[in-house]
This record gives sequence, structure tokens and C-alpha cells, in this order.
Amino acid sequence: MLLQLNNIFKWVNSGGQRIFLLKDINLQVEEGEFISIMGPSGSGKSTLLNVIGMLDGFDEGEYNFLDESVHNLKEKLRSNLYKEYIGFVFQSYHLLDELTVQENLEMPLLYKKVKGAERKAMVADMLDRFNIVGKKDLFPAQLSGGQQQLVGVARALIANPKLILADEPTGNLNSQQSEEIMELFKQLNTEGVTIIQVTHSEKNAAYGSRIVNLLDGRMI
Amino acid sequence: MLKHNLLLYLRSIKKHKSSFLINLVGLSTGLACVLLVYLWVSDELAKDKFHENDEQLYQVRRNVPIGQGAIGTFSSNSSLMLTALQEEVPEVEMVTAVYEIDNKVRLETEKKKLTAIGNMASEDFFKVFSFPLISGDKHTVLSDVSSVVISSELAANFFGQDLDPIGKTLSIKVGEENIDAVFTITGVFEIPKNSSEKFDFLLPYKTFLKHRDPDNIAWYSNSSSVYALLVPKTDINAFNQKMADFVAKRNKYLKGEQVLFTKYSNNYLRGRYENGKQSGGRITYVILFSIVALFVLAIACINFMNLSTARASRRLKEVGVKKAVGANRKSLIFQFLSEALLLSFFSLICACLVVGLLMPWFNTLTGKELDFVLEGEIILSIFLITLLTGLIAGSYPALYLTKFKAVKVLKGKIETSFGELFVRKGLVIFQFCISILLIVVVSVIYMQLDYIQSKNLGFNKDNVLVFDRQDALINTMEVFLEETRQLPGVVSTSYMQGGMTNFSNSSRGHTWPGQSEEDKEITFRHAHVGPEFIETMGIAMKEGRSYINEKPDNDSKIILNETAVKVMGLKNPIGTVINMRGPNREIIGVVKDFNIQSVYNEIAPMALLCRTEWVSNLVVKIKAGEEKTAIAGLTKLYAKFNPGLDFDFRFLDNQYQQLYLAEQRVATLSKYFAGMAILISCLGLFGLAAFTAERRRKEISIRKVLGQSTSQVTIMLSSEFVKLVLISIVITIPIAYLLATDWLSQFAYKISLHAGYFLGAGIVALLVAILTVGSQAIRAGNKNPISALREE
Repeated sequence: MLLQLNNIFKWVNSGGQRIFLLKDINLQVEEGEFISIMGPSGSGKSTLLNVIGMLDGFDEGEYNFLDESVHNLKEKLRSNLYKEYIGFVFQSYHLLDELTVQENLEMPLLYKKVKGAERKAMVADMLDRFNIVGKKDLFPAQLSGGQQQLVGVARALIANPKLILADEPTGNLNSQQSEEIMELFKQLNTEGVTIIQVTHSEKNAAYGSRIVNLLDGRMI
Repeated sequence: MLKHNLLLYLRSIKKHKSSFLINLVGLSTGLACVLLVYLWVSDELAKDKFHENDEQLYQVRRNVPIGQGAIGTFSSNSSLMLTALQEEVPEVEMVTAVYEIDNKVRLETEKKKLTAIGNMASEDFFKVFSFPLISGDKHTVLSDVSSVVISSELAANFFGQDLDPIGKTLSIKVGEENIDAVFTITGVFEIPKNSSEKFDFLLPYKTFLKHRDPDNIAWYSNSSSVYALLVPKTDINAFNQKMADFVAKRNKYLKGEQVLFTKYSNNYLRGRYENGKQSGGRITYVILFSIVALFVLAIACINFMNLSTARASRRLKEVGVKKAVGANRKSLIFQFLSEALLLSFFSLICACLVVGLLMPWFNTLTGKELDFVLEGEIILSIFLITLLTGLIAGSYPALYLTKFKAVKVLKGKIETSFGELFVRKGLVIFQFCISILLIVVVSVIYMQLDYIQSKNLGFNKDNVLVFDRQDALINTMEVFLEETRQLPGVVSTSYMQGGMTNFSNSSRGHTWPGQSEEDKEITFRHAHVGPEFIETMGIAMKEGRSYINEKPDNDSKIILNETAVKVMGLKNPIGTVINMRGPNREIIGVVKDFNIQSVYNEIAPMALLCRTEWVSNLVVKIKAGEEKTAIAGLTKLYAKFNPGLDFDFRFLDNQYQQLYLAEQRVATLSKYFAGMAILISCLGLFGLAAFTAERRRKEISIRKVLGQSTSQVTIMLSSEFVKLVLISIVITIPIAYLLATDWLSQFAYKISLHAGYFLGAGIVALLVAILTVGSQAIRAGNKNPISALREE
């Protein structure tokens, strides 16, 4: 088992009232799964994804990741945990505009303190695997949306994570680009990477092995 | 990682050139200010500190009651002080006495004639002070009556660089002391650059004593400066208490005089005395400028902080992404701090270039000879200053930018909290407070200087030539003036003891009819002047007559000024016989008050005596418009009387301006500092306004879609900043008022402060701010609203 959420609650206080973002979420994810989280706007999809990705906290409940109880971990250990095992893919790519494709890919390795030579090899490998060697010295603004997201996925993968979290990865792409990215995810999944994606699209959700539906912060 | 961050930084500079330039210009200017002031201040602080015995070196001063409860502090002492201190006081290790010759002195060899500034100093001079001797023995150079020690510069002027002048002779004439003899050079000294005292030669004090009227070698005749080396670790307060009555106990007329030992190296920076106590001096300006320079740097740092935090949105994505891929806060703080440090070291390079370029200009401005050499101590200091600047400027942005959560940042959901806005606005207000303060200070200084220079001095300083009575003129002054009077363009001629800018001779213990007991203490200034002095100087008579057509050296007459008559309480002064500088003098006239010192001081009671003795200066009044003819005639006549000597003259009004040189310099310097402060503040404001326009783009677009006009948008955006400047004005005015009042209090004659100075400064700041912000606001108002809304 990769991770397990038990009775997770998350809320904000607004005007003396408690507004629930997540309500009693129970979710178990096995290694190698490809899960799609679906639901209308504001149902808590992204929040759930961020909680899983440890970018956001929760107010109640238990979260175990690879037998570590995340809710009890110190900030630093938690950060080590997700640095090690989790990669993110964002809807709006979030590549750094001032860095080239190659440098963008290199960045996560810097924070993992990977040695220079090894870093070079890993970046080269990733460029090769995604067929973007020719674009390595271009800046994000010089790429199409699909290509940028390709780099985004490559960046998420470079540190060999067990889990990829994708928040509407195809939201800004046209249908052909979307299909390419989803095919890529599917292929990664068959290679053993666990994927959790948030999506609005039934078609994209169909690539997954399981669908989690949310409404007003609850799983239905 | 470092390479990575460096790349990111350099590329973001390229992308956001304007913020980078604003920061670079601001910080370089701030650092350049600090560097210049640092050089100036360290030079000021090092003055007179080169003497090896600095810690033990004291000057002897006297606190003397000068009537009406006031105490004057004098640095002149009786020549008897020298031996008395040496023989009677165990705490005194060594003493030297120096008589300063007022006028330039003529020295000549067979081949060359020169004039120079000289002192007469007692034997131990070179042991008490550490002026380096290039040749000669410091124990004996001044022991022989006919020896002279000259400066290396004078030696070079007389004998060229290579010749060793020891043993050569100079004939020297000192008018005041009737010295006219041949002296043998026994030593050559050098004056270090950081000596506040400059002199070209020294004669033995023995010579002074030999030529001095024996009546004036007494405890009541104060002629010389006396310096003493005290035994190490002497408790100066206790010692001063012990020494207080050292002079008073020797002569009943000197009752109330107190001897005071003050540290010699303090003279330069802390040389002003008020009522017997040390009070300020140049140190005030040293402190003032240090503060101002730091303020200018602070303004630049604030710009950096404000721009970095205000434009955070640009960097936030980077922070978010980095955090999402695993960066911790520490590494991000480190990144932002190193960026700030990098920028401040860039700025340092620019600042050094600027300082190097400005050095000659700055030297003229301050009247110094500073070198900007990058060596040990300076490098260390500027390195530390820059490091500190970078850390201070970078700390707030670094902490601010890295505190956000990655999720929020990436969703673009950061709301500026009230606290942040408060800090940012507070910083802008602080900047403008300083700018406004500096504007007020500058305008007050300027108005005061203008007032001083146009103030009715009680005499006419225009078209008056002043020159030394020296050489042949010592004996032929009256013949010379008689002939001068015949020259075309000359209105009248006369002579005087001392200068119009400072009649420093004074005495007390005078008597007159109806005098009360306590009035005996009143100190009177007095000067020996020529018969036509009052007319030549354009001084008005209040009553009686002037000395015109009088023969000089008639000891039965005296003229007083208004103040003197007032403090003496004389109802009908004319014809009254008083005892002042000689018994039985009849008051023949009273002149209206005229300024006899700088306008720091109130006009003191003064007596004018018609005598030729001790006269040091000749004055010639010239017809306006005929200066050239008159000067040409005078030069020729002077050459006839003094062959081989240049006619070295001053215009009285220039001399008068020299009096306020320090204030002039302060005014000019603060003008530039104020300019820079405003410039940097405006740069910051410009950046902030641009940012605000960017931040409120959506709001502006919605407003415009709903029908608000461009001008309304402009006003809305500008008013936010105008409010800040208005608050600054309100805060600053009371502070500025207090500072200005304090500065003006040192002048006896001063401008009255009115609201105009403060409002004027406020309006200037406001206008500059409106212009700066307005341009940005108009640009924002003119943007097409659709482009902004579509992005949402």
C-alpha cells in the first residue's frame, strides 16, 4: 500500500462559520494505481490532491504514506518524504520562465543534492526519453503548451518518484495535446508509477483504473 | 545550485531592467554618499592625532569673567606660564610656549625674498609636538637665539629641492615685535597633512622674550599659546581643579581667572567654548553628515525592500515552484539574501567609480585634500558597509517572499495583509520625512547665510582693500598712505590693528565716572586705528566727532561704540574723561554699533584708539568702478616702497565671506545630500507606483468598463501616494522646526522662521511625488481594460 487517508477533515473559518473543504475522506491507494479525482468546481478536488501531496495540511484525521504517519511528522521530514517520492504536474505547467528546458529539469535534483555529473546524466536521460533533446536550450515561452506540459511531466519524473500528482494536467491544452499527455501518463503507469490526477474530463478519467468522485468535500 | 541561482538572477535582471536600475542607481548613490562622508569624517577625526604624545598633550586655556556674568575662554597665556608650569607643577612633564605672529613675515636671502607664516616657539616644541624633523636635532633646534627652523616647503622655495639648508642664513623682519635680524637655519620640519596647524617657520621663543617690552612679560599680559605634556594617567578633572587658581593667586587684578587644561587634539573638532565650557564645534557637522549619509543609504535600502516585496508576485511563482519541487525555506532565504548582496556589491563598484570621479569636486567643496585610495582599512570598512547594506536591504524581502505556502502561491492567491501595507507605507513615509527635513534644513541654512551676507554690518565692506603692514611699511606707513591718497581712484586710506572680521584684543579693569563695583569686570574690545578709519570704513557717528585731522598717538582722546556707552551707563558721554588703555582719556565721539566679529556674536563694547603702535593692516577705500586704475597705481607705489615684494591684498567683502566658509560648505553639501535623498525617494516612489498600477490592473479595468474616465483613475491612483507625502509633511514639520531653531540659536543675528520654509519644502516634495506617480497613473489609466480582464 502506498498511502492511506483515514477520516480526513479540512476546514476554514469564515465569518464565525466553519466551512468544510474536505469531509471525512477515506482513501487507500495501492502502488501502481492510476486514480482520477472528479467532481464539480469547488468540490475539493485540488485540495485533496494538495493534502496527498503534502503541500497543504488538514485539520483532522490520519494520513499514512509508506507506513509513515504524515500527520505526526515534522515539517522537515515531511518535506524530505515528498521530495523523495512525489512529483507534481500543474495545469499551468509552472515552469520557471527564466530557465531553459534543461535547467528547469535540473532544478528538483539540485534540491535533492544530486551530484553534478549524475545530474547531467539524469537530465540527458529524461530529455532523451521525452524526445525533447532538441529543445533543451529553449525557454518555456518558446514552446507550445503541449511541449511545456511535456517538460512539466519530465520535471515531475526526473527524481524517480513513486507517485505523480497531476492537477488538471490537460486543462490548458487542446485535444490532440491532451491525448498525448494522457498516453504518456498511461505508459508511465504501466512502468509502475502511481498516478493521481484531478480532471473534469470523462475521457481523461477513463485512462485511469479508478475514479474518485467528490461533491462538497465528500467522497460519493 | 549557486550557478543555477546566479543564472536565474541575471536573467531576471535582464527581464526586469527598470527595477534593477532603480535599485542599482539608488544603492550606488547611497553607497557613494556614505563613502564620501566616510572619507571626510575619517580625515576630520584623524586631525592632530599624529602627535606621539597625543594622550598626554594638553593646551592651557583661561576662563575669564567678561562682565555681566558671562565667561570667556581664551587660549592665550602669559609668557610667564612657561617657566611657572615647568618648575612648580609636578604633573607637567614638559611645556612649550608658542607666540603666533599675526601677519605674514618677510624672509630673505641675498637672492630671494618671500613672505611666510611663522611662530616663535620655546625649546621643547619638537619634543612636545611630533612634527617630523627632516634635519636638525629636536632637542637643540630652537635653543639658540638666532636659530630658525623652516618647513621643507619653504626650504624648497628658497634653496631648491636638493640643497641642504642647514647653516644657511635668512634675514627676517617681524614688524609687530620689532625684530629685524639674521637667523641661521638649524632644522627643517614637515607639516603632516592631518595637522590643523600650518606654519612655515619657527623662531626661538627666547627671541620673542628678548624683543618683548619687559612691562608685557607679566601675568596680566597674555600673548602666547601654552601646551603641556602631562604625566601619563593624570586625572584631568582633578588636575584642573588643582590648577584653577594658578594664575589668579599671582595677581589681584586677575581674580576670578581660572586655568583650564584641554586636550590638544580636541581643539580641531571641539574648539568652541561657551561660558567656560566646551560646546560643540566642527564635531557637530561630523555627526550631522554621518547621520545624513546613513539616511541617504537607508532610503536606498528602503527602496530595495519596497520594490522587492511589492513586486513579489513576479518572484512568487519561482518560490512556489521551487518549494513544490522540494526547496526548503532556508535555501530560498539564502538565495534572496545572496541576490541582495550581489546587487549591493554591484552598487559598490558603481559607487567607487562615482566617488573616484567626484573626488576633485568633493575636495573643492570641502576644502580638503582627500585621496580615494583602496587600501587596508578603507577596503575593510566599505566591504563591511556594503555587506551590511545588502543584508539589511535583503533581509525583509527574503523573509517575506519565502514565507508563503507553495499551494497558495501557485494558485495566485496571496492577499497583501494589512501589516505589510502598513510596513510599506511606513517606509515610504520615512523616506519622505527625511527628504522634507533635508529640504527645510537646506533652505534655512541658505536663507540664514543670505541674511548674514546682506545684513547691515554697520560699516561698508564694499570696495575696501586690506593688506599687511610689513617690511618697509612698518616704518613708512604714514608716508605710504599719504602718497596713496593722491592716487587716482582712491577715496581714503587708513590703518587698523587686527581685522574687521575679528577685533580680538580686549582688556578690563577700566574706570569711569559713576562706575559701579561690578562694572569693573566689564571687558572692552579695543583696536588701534588711523585718523581716517571711521570714514574709510563708512561707520556712522552717533554723536561727537571722529579722529579725522587728529594726529595719531595722542593719548588724551578716545572714541567708543554705542554698546560701550550703554554698558558704562554714561548719559552724556562726549567730554567725559575716563581711564581706559591709559589714564585721562576724553571721549570725543561715539560711533554707531558695527559688527566687530562674525554674527555668531553680539556686538561687544569697544573702544577705538588713534595709535600707530601694533597696527597690522592698511586699508584703502576705492571709488566704485575705478578698481583697476586704483589697484594698478597701488601696486606701483607698493613696489616703490617694498622692492621685490608682491602686492598681496584682499578685498574686505571677500574676507567677510571667508568667515562663513564653514556654513557655506555645510549649505552646499546639504544641498547635494537633499537632492540625492529626494532623487532616491522618487525613484522608489516611481517603482511603487508602477507596481500599484500593475497590482490594481483588474480593479482599474473593471472601473473603466463601468465608465470611470482615465483622469478619474489617475487621480485615484495618485491620491494614495499623495496621502503618504501629506502624512510625512505633518510628521516632519515639528522636527524640522526644532532642528532649525537649534541651529539658528548659535547666531546672534538670525532670520525668523516662518511657515513658508516648511510649507515650501512640503510643496516641493508633494509636487515631485505627484509628477512621479502621476506619470505611472496616467499610463495605467490609459491601458485597454479588456486585455487585463481576459487574463483572469
